[in-house]
Amino acid sequence: MKYDAIIIGAGHNGLVNAAYLAKAGKKVLVLEQRHLVGGATVTEELYPGFKYTVFSYVVSLLRPEIIRELRLTEHGLAILPLESTLTPLPNGDYIYRDADKFRTMRDIARHSPRDADAYLDYGRSMYFMAKAVKYMLGIIPHDPTSLNPKDLLGLAGLGKHLLGLGEEHFYMLAKLMTMSSADFLEEWFETDPLIATLSASGIIGTFLGPRSPGTAYVLLHHYMGEIDGAYRAWGFQKGGTGGVANALASAATALGVEIRTEAAVDKVIVKNGQAVGVALKNGDEVHGKAIVSSADPKRTFLQFVEPKELPDELVDAIQKFNIRGSSAKVNLALDAAPNIACMPGHGPHLAGALSISPSVEYLERAYDDAKYGRFSRKPYMDVIIPSMIDPDMAPPGKHVMSCFVQYAPYDLREGTWEQQREAFGDTVIDTLSEYIPNLKEIILHRQVVTPWDIEQTTGLSQGNIFQGELSLSQLFFLRPAAGYAKYRTPIKNYYQCGSGTHPGGGILGAPGKLAAMEMLKEI
Amino acid sequence: MTYDAIIIGGGHNGLVAAAYLAKAGRKVLVLEQRAVLGGAAATEEVLPGFRFNTGAHDAGLFRQEIIDELALEKHGLSFISSPVAAFTPRLQADAPPLILWNDLKKTAETLSAISEKDAESFPRYIEHIRTMTAMLDEIILRTPPNLFENRFADLTPWLKSGLKFKRMGKQDMMAFLRVLPMSAWQFLDEWFESERLKGLLGSTSIFGSLQGPMAAGTAFMLFYQHLGAQNSGLASSRQIKGGIGQLSDALAAVVRAQGGEIHTETPVQKIVFENGVATGVQLQDGEIISSKIVISNADPKRTFFELVGARHLGPEFNRKVRAIKMKGSTAKLNLALSALPEFVNAPSGQEHLQGHIVICPSLEYLERAYDDAKYGRFSEQPLLDITIPSLLDPSLAPEGKHVMSITMRYAPFVSKKADCEHYGNHVRNKIIDTLADYAPNLRDCIEHSQVLTATEWQREYGMTEGSILHGQMGLDQLLFMRPIPGFGQYHTPIENLYLCGAGTHPGGGVTGAPGRNAAKEILKKR
Repeated sequence: MKYDAIIIGAGHNGLVNAAYLAKAGKKVLVLEQRHLVGGATVTEELYPGFKYTVFSYVVSLLRPEIIRELRLTEHGLAILPLESTLTPLPNGDYIYRDADKFRTMRDIARHSPRDADAYLDYGRSMYFMAKAVKYMLGIIPHDPTSLNPKDLLGLAGLGKHLLGLGEEHFYMLAKLMTMSSADFLEEWFETDPLIATLSASGIIGTFLGPRSPGTAYVLLHHYMGEIDGAYRAWGFQKGGTGGVANALASAATALGVEIRTEAAVDKVIVKNGQAVGVALKNGDEVHGKAIVSSADPKRTFLQFVEPKELPDELVDAIQKFNIRGSSAKVNLALDAAPNIACMPGHGPHLAGALSISPSVEYLERAYDDAKYGRFSRKPYMDVIIPSMIDPDMAPPGKHVMSCFVQYAPYDLREGTWEQQREAFGDTVIDTLSEYIPNLKEIILHRQVVTPWDIEQTTGLSQGNIFQGELSLSQLFFLRPAAGYAKYRTPIKNYYQCGSGTHPGGGILGAPGKLAAMEMLKEI
Repeated sequence: MTYDAIIIGGGHNGLVAAAYLAKAGRKVLVLEQRAVLGGAAATEEVLPGFRFNTGAHDAGLFRQEIIDELALEKHGLSFISSPVAAFTPRLQADAPPLILWNDLKKTAETLSAISEKDAESFPRYIEHIRTMTAMLDEIILRTPPNLFENRFADLTPWLKSGLKFKRMGKQDMMAFLRVLPMSAWQFLDEWFESERLKGLLGSTSIFGSLQGPMAAGTAFMLFYQHLGAQNSGLASSRQIKGGIGQLSDALAAVVRAQGGEIHTETPVQKIVFENGVATGVQLQDGEIISSKIVISNADPKRTFFELVGARHLGPEFNRKVRAIKMKGSTAKLNLALSALPEFVNAPSGQEHLQGHIVICPSLEYLERAYDDAKYGRFSEQPLLDITIPSLLDPSLAPEGKHVMSITMRYAPFVSKKADCEHYGNHVRNKIIDTLADYAPNLRDCIEHSQVLTATEWQREYGMTEGSILHGQMGLDQLLFMRPIPGFGQYHTPIENLYLCGAGTHPGGGVTGAPGRNAAKEILKKR
């Protein structure tokens, strides 16, 4: 039996891709190496009753049109609001922001009335910028070096769109593309911890500090999310991010997609420069008219196929492709609710995010450690307590806590991650305990997921959650490599659909969908 | 009497602008606050017989077009070339010396003692970086387009550049777009394995800015500096006979020959305007001189906040000017030496000392030097870029003696008065201590020293926060974003007031390009 398309990897982009192909009437098979679907978008019950969002933990960027077109809500997608962010400060004070704009402004005004005023303007501007770049999320990246009429027309359209933003917003976009997130935010605000917390969105998943140029773009990337039309809204999927993968898998299955788990792909079978199927690690072969890799570019080009099948310059470009992993997760099972020192007791703040980002210098110093190959001695953290949002995540009265931690460089200068894993875990807990005094007493289990572990488990090269840094040299028509940004490869019928392609990482789904649209022109 | 144009500041860009305007028949007046012309590109006899290049010590970026168009060679400008571009001293006496020559073969020879692989890559690297800089070369002397005023005439030269870009071929075009926003670190890492070589080549990437080589956009400065290089891969290795001040003198000679006037020791207090139109300047002694237009060679912050005054400008405009990053990072130490320094691992002879002598053992060294500066301190282990111009030009020092010019990074601007007081001395000691490790006889050779930190650049040379580039040259402050978005065409919100300094496109370094571009824009309009 032969499939129209075989998708390697059941991460969210692989599933989105499969669903769109099936929707167009294609016979589709998805192959997943693990026992469950989702890739880095999974929920796992590691201890009875405690459900961990092992890797990713919040949802925001998933494209609304994908939710609509694949009827994901009917298949169990339920995103609960995650409305507040609490930044505790070393002096016992805090900055607390939530969905109530005016309450938030009052809290910011305690630190700086000027910043409280600027807060709404800033939000409005970023909202506009996010809308402006949304256009780019929906188009394939046109090749600026090509004289092909389609590319020229596409570029003209893009130019028209950009100039149509108006002078003010065009220049703001130009700044966002080139500045550092902290510098960009300093043009708006003066309260250092506020700048730090906001600029942290610019370093997530990225091996750069808040003062490194290029991070303002990553900041913008994180603003592109919209939930029910509200930009910059973060949410928590009921049941954890695995729920997103399950909804996608269910929608795909309903459209006729066949999903096979524990089916690790070894190689793509290429005959006469044409992909004809895949060889599984267990020795099986499956044949299909088109093969799609949702894995990262390094695996897509350097592992699944032989470099001799590819032009030298592509092999060279993929070898140079920057995919340094920098983030880790520490997942905790807790015996009771954590008590946050600056805001003791129960309250809505526990259902929001806790951001350990007391100052720009704090984040920058965390980066300094990583630059020279060690994990941050005082790391940046974005912490949520999923069980506060969705009680089904933990047994009654108990909790799960998800700590996203940076920086944890994939390449350690001393030792291996297997040796350093628990020391890193201790650092995270020690740091967090400064803000949550009862933390150590209530920990039942601890799972430390380093970039090395991410790579081992999900296959993401170097544990990079974006399948490649979102730097200007690796965006748009350069993602993953010049001339191969349109989801195709030099091998006929071999395609790519992962976060390593335009528009990049996060639970976005856009690469999967755009790849499917491109493929449907050919298969 | 009314002038056609008053140029505030007799730095090299102000003089270039003045020369072009005078040549076009305009009556110009240049006003310089200091006694010496040239701004930060001056040669001054600080100690009898010793002529220091007080500020910049490298004029290799100066545009040949300007030399030709203004016939500067007829007015006393001449260059001396060194066969050596750079030498990197080492602490270990047995370490093979790393020397970059203008002769590619010789460079490859020295490199092969360090890394065969790098020696082999080097010629290809030179070819590559030359392709990349060719595209930059194309836009240096063009006024950035204003994308929101669709004047076809402004865009035509850029269409020409666009065509040239297309002719690079697909692969080079893509490479150009890919490497431009890169960090010098990443860019050099793709080419070489030797930390020493990468450190040396990358030492130019942070020129004048408060950025480390890991910062995105620093590869751009590598290319920019390479505009003046021949085959060395680093920066220029030619110096101006008689010191860099000869450039200013030649430019001044052109201005005067065309009937222009230049007044030194004439500081401007403010720009005078009526009904929002600039009409002249008021000197510090109160005198008002009127002029049809005023051109400021000062940096944008000084121009708008001190010479114009924020209250005459809109709040949104002020916010943008305030946001210009102008963090100074460079200190300068000028030494009068009784003898040449002897570096521990130096080859025999003096040839290796004729180019740049660079202390930057690796990119990590440089990044760590930046780490200090990032938190407001000068580098514990700084980058030193040294020249000894008296080697090729004995007229700069008494017989048998030498002048040494040391640029040190990073020494960030300190604003607190208490910190300023001893800052210069601390920086001086840091530089001498660092260098003496490499050349133990240095201390005994020093007859006199002059230290200039960001504080002095601001106070005596008028450069805000001591930013020698008049604003960092990061990707967010280039082209139509320089000095601020929407004002990339040398004009200002005030009618008849223009800018011509390094704060405008294409930026800092002794290029003369901003001055020439500004003059051309002004002449187009009037």
